[in-house]
Amino acid sequence: MRKLGFLISGLLLSLTLACGGGSHTTPAPIPAATATGLAYTDPTGSGWRLVKDVHSTPTRLLLNLVGPAGLNSRGAGFNLKAPAAIRFGAFTESGFPIKDLGAYELWNTNPWPGDGSVAAGFDPLEPRLIAGGVKAGNVLTVGIFQKDRRASAKDSGQPLCQIALEYDSAANLKAGDAIPLAITKAKHMAEDIGAFAFSPTMEMASKAQLVDMTIAVGSLRAN
Amino acid sequence: MHGTLPRPLTALVFALALGTVLAAAQPMPASARAYHVAQQPRRVALAQGQLMNLRPSLGLSDREAFVPVHAFTNAEGEAVVRLDHTFDGHRVVGSQAIAKVPLGGAIQTFTHHLQGNLKVAGEPNLSAEKATAIALRHLAPKGAMKDAPRVERVVFPAQFLGGVATTVDPETGSTVVDRKLTVLPKLAEPFVWAYEVKTRLQNDQDGLKQLTYYIDGRSGKILRVNDAIEHQAVTPATGTGKGYYNGPVSIPTSLMLDGTYAMYDPTRGTLPNPNLQWFTPDGSGWSATGLQAWYEQNDADGNNTWMSYLFQGNATNTWGDGLPFTAYGAEGGPNGQTSGADAMYAMTATWDFYKNVLGLDGMDGKGTTVYAQVGMTGSWYRNNAAWDSWAMGLFLGTGTPGSFGSFTEFDVVAHEMTHGVTSTTAKFVNAAGYEEAGLNEATSDFFAQMAKAYASAEPGTTVPETGTDWRIGFNVGNGTPIRWMDKPSKDLRSADGWYDGLNYMDGHFSAGVLNRALYFLAHGASSTPGADDYSPYLPQGMKGIGNDKAARIWFKTVTERLYSGGVGQVTFLDAREQAIKVALELYGESAGGYGMDSETSHAVENAFAAVNVGRAYGEGPRTQVRFADWRDHDWITRNHFADTGYEHKQFLPIGETVRPRITVLNNPNTTVTWTLGGPSLYNGGSANKGGVINADGSWTTPFNLGWYAITATSQADPRQFAEGRCFLVNLDTDGDNEQDAVDLGCIAFSWYLTNGLNPAHSMFNAPWVDDSDVATFVDAMKATWWVK
Repeated sequence: MRKLGFLISGLLLSLTLACGGGSHTTPAPIPAATATGLAYTDPTGSGWRLVKDVHSTPTRLLLNLVGPAGLNSRGAGFNLKAPAAIRFGAFTESGFPIKDLGAYELWNTNPWPGDGSVAAGFDPLEPRLIAGGVKAGNVLTVGIFQKDRRASAKDSGQPLCQIALEYDSAANLKAGDAIPLAITKAKHMAEDIGAFAFSPTMEMASKAQLVDMTIAVGSLRAN
Repeated sequence: MHGTLPRPLTALVFALALGTVLAAAQPMPASARAYHVAQQPRRVALAQGQLMNLRPSLGLSDREAFVPVHAFTNAEGEAVVRLDHTFDGHRVVGSQAIAKVPLGGAIQTFTHHLQGNLKVAGEPNLSAEKATAIALRHLAPKGAMKDAPRVERVVFPAQFLGGVATTVDPETGSTVVDRKLTVLPKLAEPFVWAYEVKTRLQNDQDGLKQLTYYIDGRSGKILRVNDAIEHQAVTPATGTGKGYYNGPVSIPTSLMLDGTYAMYDPTRGTLPNPNLQWFTPDGSGWSATGLQAWYEQNDADGNNTWMSYLFQGNATNTWGDGLPFTAYGAEGGPNGQTSGADAMYAMTATWDFYKNVLGLDGMDGKGTTVYAQVGMTGSWYRNNAAWDSWAMGLFLGTGTPGSFGSFTEFDVVAHEMTHGVTSTTAKFVNAAGYEEAGLNEATSDFFAQMAKAYASAEPGTTVPETGTDWRIGFNVGNGTPIRWMDKPSKDLRSADGWYDGLNYMDGHFSAGVLNRALYFLAHGASSTPGADDYSPYLPQGMKGIGNDKAARIWFKTVTERLYSGGVGQVTFLDAREQAIKVALELYGESAGGYGMDSETSHAVENAFAAVNVGRAYGEGPRTQVRFADWRDHDWITRNHFADTGYEHKQFLPIGETVRPRITVLNNPNTTVTWTLGGPSLYNGGSANKGGVINADGSWTTPFNLGWYAITATSQADPRQFAEGRCFLVNLDTDGDNEQDAVDLGCIAFSWYLTNGLNPAHSMFNAPWVDDSDVATFVDAMKATWWVK
């Protein structure tokens, strides 16, 4: 038994020596794969947050802005800073890097009655308060707001608007590398902006302020 | 015999024509004429019936009718019937149909003097008695009326309105010309209810007057006054003018009924001047019909008294002293007459040039009288000259000693008269913002040269090659022309060639492009770099086609091919294309012997190519720099094109680093060099210049709102550039010193309130916020932080 015990100890020593760079060679561990897309984990909580849309693809991550259920709002906007590995994508529908998801009422609620030259009804060319862009430092800035006070505020607890993030392979990240995202500014328009009147009131003036808010962002990794 | 042998058709036609001539030459037998005359009443009824049946095809309603008012039987035995056009039984002034009714055969109707699309609203709220009283107050008879006034309710076509405004003198109670409101506006409606009031005076105090008034049936305003008296004609004469610019010249004058002479030429002009016709003839034999020269009366200090007079009362028919004008307060005297003589001479020659060379009767082609008024002062008129298309008159400033001479030099006068041609044909918009403003001014400059050439030789029917100096107002400017045509940029302001954004320039300076093109067309272009008549856009040069051909091509182009109608739609490129077509029309494709390839139309192509309008004959596409226009009939175009002209312009944020969009065509190298401002800023443009062009070519915009000019020049072809307009707006609505999409929210706080809650909510810092702000924000955002 003692002889057998020595033999086992010697074998273990041999294995230890081999692992320590001895003359015997073994295959190197497999390095992390080069990333080709994005993986996102939604944030926890029920406040303002960016939630992955089910229509995302491995290379185009769609994030929806969702607010607290039960909190009515009239629009929201935010700035999102990302490293160079992220390209913000545009949407054909808006021509901007923001997509309207239909929660907010963006049109004039009292459409043009028509004057003989322009037909009555909603004007398909009517300007709406939805826009976005990418500023210096790869800061996405987007906003979507109801412009007509006569429209009722909407429940924020639903997908309100969407942005698109695409991985830039030139960044040469490894799969699993973390990609930090940071909300640098976020505001929404509250439900109560004063009782409606065409002529401005003191109440309307005092409530003409956007409300600062915090948007929770999930975990983003190269994939 | 029932058959005849076939006859050659030409012989038959000849025989018929001969038969007609023979028949016309033969007096109608008395019995035959008596028959026709007896048939006249029936034929009048036939004519009326025919025209009544034609109402639908003439666009007339059931409320309109035809009433015979005059008929006679002509030498051919036809009844010639004139029928007044009525509306609800009331005569439409100036609207009449004519019918010719032969024995058998078709009734001929002539309806070109019929007023169509007649609509007249409501009823007059003025009584016939009240209208008569208004007319009599204006007439102000000193003696007894010959007859009681006759009054008739009529429909008056307002298109014939416009003219001198009148007012009631509070001291005398009589109607006088309103010097503060010289010209009456036209009415908005095309037709109005009116009263025609005919008056007749014949007494020692008033003389012989038969004035017919048209009184607006609603407002009581006098719409028109016609003088029914045929005045005794004056005697045309030829005076001796001592012009300052033209030297001793013969000018047409008239021996008036009082035995003195006036600068009044009844032989040129067949219709009354629309401004002068409001003046009541004074018994001198003067009328509003006939070319004439007036002067504005100033005080001794050169201040306008707003009184004007015809040059008249001259016993010797010798006018002027040949000296520069200095005689303020004595404009009617010899020194003032000098300006009148210069103007009269130039007007006469220009009138004859258009009539004898180009077949145009007067500036409007209708023979409407033109008049000049010299001695104009005041802040605008003194150092200027103007054509008033409403008045069909030229208003010529006195100039300022030491800076400008009297604005009566030949080419200045001819330039202004030519505005009378363009204002009745192409009707170019004459304001910065439109390319056609340059077409307008250059057309006047060019024909001023052609008229000057015409006046330099014996009167004929062609434009001689002599007499042009291709300068405008050389002597008015005391040796420095107001404009050069061979190389317009010699004034350091005008453009030598077209570029995108030329339209921002005042028309007098953008005119340089067409002035130079027409100069090249007539005179040719050099191939020697540095020469005044060398163009880098046509380095090989070209041979000119001569004054006469150039004049005919351009006249036909303007008067028959181009039309703006006041909407500013005509471009230099349009002008080029039409001029080429006219050249082909007039001279045929192979009738040349001129230019590089002996084609007149190709010479037109080359002349325009030499000013960068289109390409030369046989040349490939040129590099073009265009200020990008993404505004393809969008909301801004639809709502703001007319008032602010946002078309072809870009919105950008203040205080940001931006890259205006530019398009470079026909060259693989699309890089441009940006510079602040642009040529228009010194030549009529109203934009600002500011910010910084950075090393990477971007533009850091200034922090001030407003229009800014910026110019992009092709690096591949520095001859090609574009001047663009950017409106800088402030996107920071929430006041956090950052312009971003979050700022969209504050727009909503003030949107469409009667007054915005905060001017910062508006992109323009305006006191209200509407969809223009929304559209502008979106535009600026897209332009600056665009994501593809």
